[in-house]
Amino acid sequence: MTIILSICVAVVFAVSLYLMTGRELKSIAMGVFLLGHAANLSIIAMSRTPVRHEPQLLKGAPILTSSFDPAHPMNSIVDPLPQALILTAIVIGFAVMAFLLSLLVLTSRKAGTLNLEQLGTVATQDD
Amino acid sequence: MKLENFIILFIVIPMGSGVIGVFLKERVRIARVLGVMSFLATASLAIGLLIHLRSHPTGILVSQMGAWPAPYGISVVFDSLSGLLLAASSLVALACYVHSFSTVEPIAEKRYFHPMVQLLMFGVNLAFLTGDLFNLFVSFEIMLMASYCLLTFGGTRLQMTQAYKYVLLNLVGSTLFVIGAGLVYGMTGTLNFADLALFVSKRQAEGRSLPPGFAALSISLLLVFGLKGAIFPLWFWLPDTYYTCNVSIAGLFAGMLTKVGIYAIARTFPMIFAHGNSDANRIVMPLLAVSAAFTMFLGVLGAVSHHNIRRILAVHVISQVGYMVFGLALMTGVALAGCLFYMIQHMVVKSCLFLCCGIMERHTGTDDLEKSGGLLKRDWYLGVVFFIAAMSLVGLPPLSGFFGKLVIIREGWESKWWLSIFGLLTGALTLLSMLKIWGYAFWSPSAKAIERTPQNMSNTSSLRPAYVGATLLVLVALFLGFGAQPVYDIAFRAGNQLVNPDEYISAVLGPHALDELTQYRQQEATRLAAAAAVEVMP
Repeated sequence: MTIILSICVAVVFAVSLYLMTGRELKSIAMGVFLLGHAANLSIIAMSRTPVRHEPQLLKGAPILTSSFDPAHPMNSIVDPLPQALILTAIVIGFAVMAFLLSLLVLTSRKAGTLNLEQLGTVATQDD
Repeated sequence: MKLENFIILFIVIPMGSGVIGVFLKERVRIARVLGVMSFLATASLAIGLLIHLRSHPTGILVSQMGAWPAPYGISVVFDSLSGLLLAASSLVALACYVHSFSTVEPIAEKRYFHPMVQLLMFGVNLAFLTGDLFNLFVSFEIMLMASYCLLTFGGTRLQMTQAYKYVLLNLVGSTLFVIGAGLVYGMTGTLNFADLALFVSKRQAEGRSLPPGFAALSISLLLVFGLKGAIFPLWFWLPDTYYTCNVSIAGLFAGMLTKVGIYAIARTFPMIFAHGNSDANRIVMPLLAVSAAFTMFLGVLGAVSHHNIRRILAVHVISQVGYMVFGLALMTGVALAGCLFYMIQHMVVKSCLFLCCGIMERHTGTDDLEKSGGLLKRDWYLGVVFFIAAMSLVGLPPLSGFFGKLVIIREGWESKWWLSIFGLLTGALTLLSMLKIWGYAFWSPSAKAIERTPQNMSNTSSLRPAYVGATLLVLVALFLGFGAQPVYDIAFRAGNQLVNPDEYISAVLGPHALDELTQYRQQEATRLAAAAAVEVMP
């Protein structure tokens, strides 16, 4: 499972970096959003074996489990903290995405373009 | 009522008044009163708690949210470091907020300006108080979200063509922070600062190395916090940002935003990510030292080359951040205390300069130095306020900047003398650029632009709130200069607690958390003594 997740993370990272090298603000924004998804996926991938230095309550708990062993219920419980982290990060990501997209709409209305080079010239004209 | 329960008020008051402020959209006067009350309440609470805690054995108050025990729940920690920063930031926010009554456009005020300022301070206060890494991320996001909105208020063409840089850059920084927090959890199984510090100290006492990749993790978090704090290779976003927004807001940003990044480094690096004698420490320390030198010196060179009051002040923020990084790079208790004092005084003084700049712009109608002049004749009071603030920034004794620089440079003289020389040189160039503003704007004969500005545009009745704000900050700056001793007493305590986190750990995790650690340390000490005895014997 971890290997599949890490491949997913790598692919999403690659795509987002490719998008971020574009000259259009729209594609850069999409790249940034994908970067957020890659970060969330990477938290899932990393959270498999929590190595707490205290009594190891949840050691070895698999992140996605379908088998439940009634004899050792703790073994099939997923560590809940990474889920909580990701949930928070997703919610914040939504808000930021909404803000950034409305910012881009306003920018294109005011400046007439979303191309980075043209934006630079517009800004200097304004000065 | 227990004293611990007061801590949460620092978070609840700005959040509550922000939420209420949303419903006071049309009632500007009530919204203003509410905002001023909120900042007054947090400022007086912070100062009261600081004075009360001077006789406390550790000076640390901890509140566990929902009474969940520490590493599992959310802890909110008020110690000397956060207390001093909370007091200073609330006072700065109060002054900038009052100042904004005379600079902000009426239309912006009816478009949720007041709630946004409150929510910005909600994020800043939460960042200073939180006891775990993930809540630090959340508070950064709250603060940044409010700052994006304040930055684009008005929506002029210039703002719109500049805002996306700041927003996109911070989004990438936040994503890196999430990845870093996930990595920390994956490696150590905890996100609580005290628990992390205990983990690191335990590993070092046992003589075991930290998990592989811990040094890389430290550096990626340094990158994130450095981006927020505008240290050397990561400062390019700052001048454009402070140039385009409302001047009171620029003052607030100059006081708050970079300091939160520096605070995050000061909180986590001496205690956790560069604690003791680890690999991470050996990599991070030289990086910080080099970055401090470049930040100080290049920042001030940039300021000298500009000819625009606001640009000079904005680029100066970078150079002053360099002094704070200098304090961090030494990472001794005394140097961290100096860094903390410098942070506080820089918040106050730099915001005060921006507020003065706002009044100057109203007088002359421009912030271009070439076109302004004769301000001393027109408004001698502004001249006095500006002069005190500027000389505090330069560090002329007995003003506040002197005491900040004195401690950092003296502490650095032993181990990193070359950094101290850079620091002194930067101080001289700071004097040069402040004298440039003074000479052009105040001393030079009146220019044409100022004569064209009708007298009634800058009449005192509409500018009265602006004078109140600037005066408040100058009084705080004078207090920091003449009353440096009591402030430094608290700062030294904070510095020592950062370098030696035992008190912090036992305050947050309970007194029994340290039992195992002291046992290891005693074993290590007896082993060393035995080894020394064997060496002496033959």
